[in-house]
Amino acid sequence: MNTFNRVISILDRSLMKIEELILSFAIIVISVMVIGNVLSRTFTGASWAFNEEISRFALFLATFIGISYVARKGRHISMSAFFDLAPHKIRKALAIIIPLVTAIVLFVLAYYAYGYMASVRDSGRVTAALRFPYYWMLIAVPLGFVLGGIQFLRNAWINIKEKDVYLATDKKDYDRTDGAI
Amino acid sequence: GCGNGGDDAAEDNGDAGGDGETYEWRFVTEENQGQVQYEYAEEFAERLNEKSDGQINIDVYEFGGLGSEVDQVEQLQSGVVEFAIVSPGFTGTMVEEGQLFALQFLFPDDVAETQEVLETSEALNTHLAEKYEEHNIKPLSFWTEGAMQWTGSTQLRTPDDFQGFAMRTQESPLIMESYRQYGADPTAMSWSELYTGLQQGTVDGQENPIFFIEDAGFHEVQDHMTISNHNNYVAMTTVNPGFYNDLPEDIQAMIDETVEEMKEVGFELQDQMNEELLDAIIENEDYPTDVYELNEDEREQFRELAEPMRDYFRENGGEDAAEILDMLEEEIEEVTGEEA
Amino acid sequence: MVTTLLAIMVIFLFLGFPMMIPLILAPLVVVLFFFPNVDPIFMVQQMMEGISSYVLLAVPLFIFAADIMSTGKTSKRLLDFVGAFVGHLRGGYAITTAAACTLFGSISGSTQATVVAIGKPMRERLLKVGYKDSSAIALIINASDIALLIPPSIGMIIYALISGTSVGELFIAGIGPGLLIFLFFAIYAYIHAKIFNIPLAEKTTWNARFKLTGKALFPLGFPVIIVGGIYTGIFTPTEAAGISVLYAIILEVLIFRSIKITQIPSIALSTGLVTSAVFVLVAGGQAFAWVIQFARIPQLITDAFLGGDPSAVYVLVIVAIFFFIGCMFVDPIVVILILTPIFYPAAMQAGVDPVHLGVVITFQAALGSATPPFGVDIFTASAVFNKSYLDVIRGTPPYIVMLLIVSILVIMFEEISLFYRFL
Ligand code: NA
Ligand code: NA
Repeated sequence: MNTFNRVISILDRSLMKIEELILSFAIIVISVMVIGNVLSRTFTGASWAFNEEISRFALFLATFIGISYVARKGRHISMSAFFDLAPHKIRKALAIIIPLVTAIVLFVLAYYAYGYMASVRDSGRVTAALRFPYYWMLIAVPLGFVLGGIQFLRNAWINIKEKDVYLATDKKDYDRTDGAI
Repeated sequence: GCGNGGDDAAEDNGDAGGDGETYEWRFVTEENQGQVQYEYAEEFAERLNEKSDGQINIDVYEFGGLGSEVDQVEQLQSGVVEFAIVSPGFTGTMVEEGQLFALQFLFPDDVAETQEVLETSEALNTHLAEKYEEHNIKPLSFWTEGAMQWTGSTQLRTPDDFQGFAMRTQESPLIMESYRQYGADPTAMSWSELYTGLQQGTVDGQENPIFFIEDAGFHEVQDHMTISNHNNYVAMTTVNPGFYNDLPEDIQAMIDETVEEMKEVGFELQDQMNEELLDAIIENEDYPTDVYELNEDEREQFRELAEPMRDYFRENGGEDAAEILDMLEEEIEEVTGEEA
Repeated sequence: MVTTLLAIMVIFLFLGFPMMIPLILAPLVVVLFFFPNVDPIFMVQQMMEGISSYVLLAVPLFIFAADIMSTGKTSKRLLDFVGAFVGHLRGGYAITTAAACTLFGSISGSTQATVVAIGKPMRERLLKVGYKDSSAIALIINASDIALLIPPSIGMIIYALISGTSVGELFIAGIGPGLLIFLFFAIYAYIHAKIFNIPLAEKTTWNARFKLTGKALFPLGFPVIIVGGIYTGIFTPTEAAGISVLYAIILEVLIFRSIKITQIPSIALSTGLVTSAVFVLVAGGQAFAWVIQFARIPQLITDAFLGGDPSAVYVLVIVAIFFFIGCMFVDPIVVILILTPIFYPAAMQAGVDPVHLGVVITFQAALGSATPPFGVDIFTASAVFNKSYLDVIRGTPPYIVMLLIVSILVIMFEEISLFYRFL
């Protein structure tokens, strides 16, 4: 059991590193593409025809691979007024139910995202400038939903296992000991 | 609209469809109210409604509500919407042969002759149509929205005028390569940024039919327009084949009949709109635009530079590109009586 | 069907689900139950459509530039510069906060970044001179809203994308209303300081002012590049965003040497995190908007509220009310995505200028961002200052009243937004 936990923990750390790398790299690639294109257009008169496709690909990657990373950090935008004001017991229940249901929805979306990707693949559509199969642009979508779903399952699990309320595996609920509410 | 032709038919066909079933269909376009495609679709819907005595109701969607042009095509292919007007330019990354409509100086100079080719061509209506049907798109007719013209911040009369000229085009390798042949720097830009791009000089010029230029106000931010007639903006009226084939025969016949009627209606729609709006551009004193029509000599210079693009298309336009273009060239010759 | 759509949205939202879930689940359920011939994969198609536009790339780039500069020295230099000139006035620290938020707004497209960059250092200074914490926080979150109106503005980019209006023109049009809010806040700061007898700070010498101005010169080059570059046509808005990243890196890494180049990837990571959190909403919002359009709901709404031949001002008031209510519950970007296509055609028919409409809509989004029950700025402040939700909203009422007044002025007088056309 101990070895199992350690393996999971190593996998988890590596996955997080990969997600961080992808997010960071995507933003840098977008910057390089857009800046490079404008400099090239200004100084040589020629645009980078591939800049739009590569930038868009990087944005898709950041958006969907980011789902699980943002979930890990508890940073998805939500309206937490009711959650924040609720008594501890209800908060605890919500902290389990919300990520659980969220995970299910994300898995369903992963299924449809795969379906969409498959239909684009079958249509034979290619990108306009670099002419690579368009469905490559979509690979991040089902993958991102699956990874996001897994992370939300873990957010539910930590609330089942631990006594305190966790907003995410990496984020405990705000400290309420200052008697604010 | 001018749909009085359908009144008598509606009474005759009162029981069309046999079982009295009603139909609710959707028709998406790539343009907005007041522009050719949308007005075409509205007229199409109205006529079918009258013919069927109210049995067929078609909701027409403006551009944007259901996504991009490519999204709309995918929705047609899947049967989410039943009808669509599709520009082959937006499906060129899927049905590559459809890029032939981007070849400049291919179709006859005269728009009416172009329309004749579009209506009668076997290359288009049989062979190219098959290519689309392989992708679950059934073209019912090919028609023109009018000849394309150039606008520019400087006058465009000869290929020399295109040297170093930043020409905005659609994101299509064939179109971009065509302008490189003239010596221009083609730049792909979304049309929602185009007005500002022209105003501020990020790009120097663009191509479109007159009605679109006027409607989008491009003449407000351009000093020159050249009546170049270098190409025709071609659109296809399309239907989802599965949906169409499952319809009762009398309903299919009703659709076919309407498509036939719309050939003339569509032609007049664009003709009238392009003519009226050309006058509007010329007479606009707030935003004066110098309008110049290319003479035969000047057209010839561009035609020569455009010619090699046909071989480019034969090589890069998909497996049946050469066959379809050869056949089309012959058909054009038959209509015009001279070599295409 | 409308009931199903709204019920799912409201219930999941109030329970505290990540906002992307109700946004995607509601249209998905409607498609599954009401439109059997629509394959649900089209919800995914529309999510991709929502984030496919080249213009949208300006959003992560502007966030990245602001992240680089709030990590570095830019925001502090702007604060010192403003403080040197107005800090000694009555209410000077509050005025400094508002002015610095306005200036930082010309770098940042988002209110949250401004809360972090200006709010953090200013709160300490405000507390030191005797402001109550609730007044300090209320000032910070509301003044940060000005960032949404001063170019660059993420809200305006989204509006421009949907309506086909020029981003460049919208950017310029936001400046008037942004400065008007600043003016109201500055006057309020003066009166508030007088009533509560906030002590005066020492006056900065001209010598020091001169020095601090020098230090702020490079950061002040930002608005010149962004507004000037777009207005003169050197760049498109996306390109301007790219150039602002380049400028930020040159400034912080090469000139100020406050950031090492090796720190850039970790700053990019935090930009990536915010980008993902925002763009899943943009994606979901497009799926939601698609179902609304497909079911022809806009026609129902405009028939009900804007039937007959309404005047331009009436349409704008209805638009403002819908957006204000929407932003009370949902992220402003989502509200702009969903409501703009519904109201835009009716507004055009009534003769509203598309740029003016964009400013009114962005203004409501800014107002909504700081207004309970939901407000992105409230949650940001709550996280940044480690304060409870109620503590954060306690001091906001006077600001909401002022913003409402300015909002009415902006609706009534389109000249406030369209001033540049008279230049
Ligand atoms: Na801003
Ligand atoms: Na709010």
